[in-house]
Amino acid sequence: MASTAAVVPKQGLVPGKVEDVAELFERWHRDGDPVAREALVRRFMPLARRLARRYERSSEPFEDLLQVASLGLLKALDRFDPKRGHPFSSFAVPTILGEMRRYFRDSGWSVHVPRGEQERALKVRDAQETFANEHGHAPTVNQLAEYLEVETGEVIEALQAIQAYEALSLDAPRPGADGDAMTYGEAVGHEDERYELVELDATVTAVLERIPKRERMILRMRFVEDLTQTEIAARVGVSQMQVSRLLRRSLDQLRALTQDTKKAL
Amino acid sequence: MARGVASVGIDRRTWMAAPPNIRLDLSNRPENVVLVRETLAGVAEAVGLDAADLDDIRTAVTEACNNVVLHAYEGEEGALEVEIYAMGGSCSVFVRDRGIGLQQQASEDQWIVGIGLPVIEALASHVDFEETAGGGTEVRMQFATPGAHTLEPTSEGETSGSANGAKGAGASVTIAPVAPLARTVLPRLLGVLAARAHFSTDRISDALLVADALSAHASRSTSAGHLRIKVTIEPRKLELSLGPLDAGGARELVSGSTVDGVGRVLEKLSDHLDVALDGSYEVLDLQLTDRR
Repeated sequence: MASTAAVVPKQGLVPGKVEDVAELFERWHRDGDPVAREALVRRFMPLARRLARRYERSSEPFEDLLQVASLGLLKALDRFDPKRGHPFSSFAVPTILGEMRRYFRDSGWSVHVPRGEQERALKVRDAQETFANEHGHAPTVNQLAEYLEVETGEVIEALQAIQAYEALSLDAPRPGADGDAMTYGEAVGHEDERYELVELDATVTAVLERIPKRERMILRMRFVEDLTQTEIAARVGVSQMQVSRLLRRSLDQLRALTQDTKKAL
Repeated sequence: MARGVASVGIDRRTWMAAPPNIRLDLSNRPENVVLVRETLAGVAEAVGLDAADLDDIRTAVTEACNNVVLHAYEGEEGALEVEIYAMGGSCSVFVRDRGIGLQQQASEDQWIVGIGLPVIEALASHVDFEETAGGGTEVRMQFATPGAHTLEPTSEGETSGSANGAKGAGASVTIAPVAPLARTVLPRLLGVLAARAHFSTDRISDALLVADALSAHASRSTSAGHLRIKVTIEPRKLELSLGPLDAGGARELVSGSTVDGVGRVLEKLSDHLDVALDGSYEVLDLQLTDRR
């Protein structure tokens, strides 16, 4: 969600002449005057739109969200009792939000939201690679945000989501990267022997050998050869984001294994 | 409060027997709202909060923070302080400023007439407003979080003290208990700050590795029960200080980051490491730059 854009500009919500709204409600509730109802809908539609926009980053199309928010607005218009003296907005917002949350729960919020996140994460990952290929170095978050025409906060949250994914489709071959391309093993296999020579210490290799060969290669490239993650990604044929996750995961594993080894001694 | 706020008298003195699990000392710059949101995600992971609950909490807290960003200081820069209490079945978030106060904001038709307050009221189980000592406002929100774990802070009230550590672009976060929260909060915090310092995605990922290494070993290097991380930001440069660490704790932390076959992760990834003294405690100073 945008950090500041969500806050309502002053003129957006202040209903103007309060007595007008009260009169419109009376005409709608008492006389069933559809013109009055339409006037109320027009007046408060910006509120529904604004609330719908809060959930825009989920996988649902904005039009669907707006529809659900509008439905909530109509329910609020029907049920609102002006005689209680509260402003309509303080009644409408919970009603609309309630409608949207019910919709998400009914349609499987827990399924839909991560998918939306994942789509966004894939876009960020692809943009990162495109940029790195074009410029020869990794982009900043600002550059990614500019490229994708989104806010930096959204890129930051997408990067965080990428870190959270365990394997998933982010690890799958990307379009264009499969086919006749060398497999990972073919690409780096010839370096293995040289690598094994670097690690002569028996206790060291004992721990290291317990993580996959690919992870050992990546660790060595980063910490022994001092390559950047983008350089490693290019050599290994995966995304920089995946290099990042593999490094984090294998360092975690090595820490745990080292602890176990110390305890066993 | 004149308007229909569901006041249940959430009073920290009686209601919050323990210090907060997280305390963030920030300035009211707009970009700090992302930092608060990411910190909440870190807490959610630590206590096993589900995605829908986290989303509700983030939405409400974002509104409270936005108010501090936009209205609390009438365009000036000022403090944005956030406290998070994870208490199992409920989670409380206090958002505090030292600004002009809600009464004046209300009289100027600010946030109070917008949808900020109705959104918070719709999402939180209880909302309360307090005037802070300096005349600012504290918004206290309590959320029902069935199924979440409790995090018992072991610190002696240290996380409630003022850190005075976050002028300008910097940030200060205090966490207790250290071990579970460092693991989930520190990487998110450093990730956001590295992005803000215009690090490349390569170097942001390195910052995550540094955060992981610090998190894995920090709790063994301090007996204080809490950990404060202050970060100052310059273009392509982050300066971290971590404390309070026990005597010898800073070195222990760095050597503890040794991974067999890889070396001292903290030394390899940071540009500068130093040990400073803070009273009887040590502070580890660590510098990360992105030299492209």
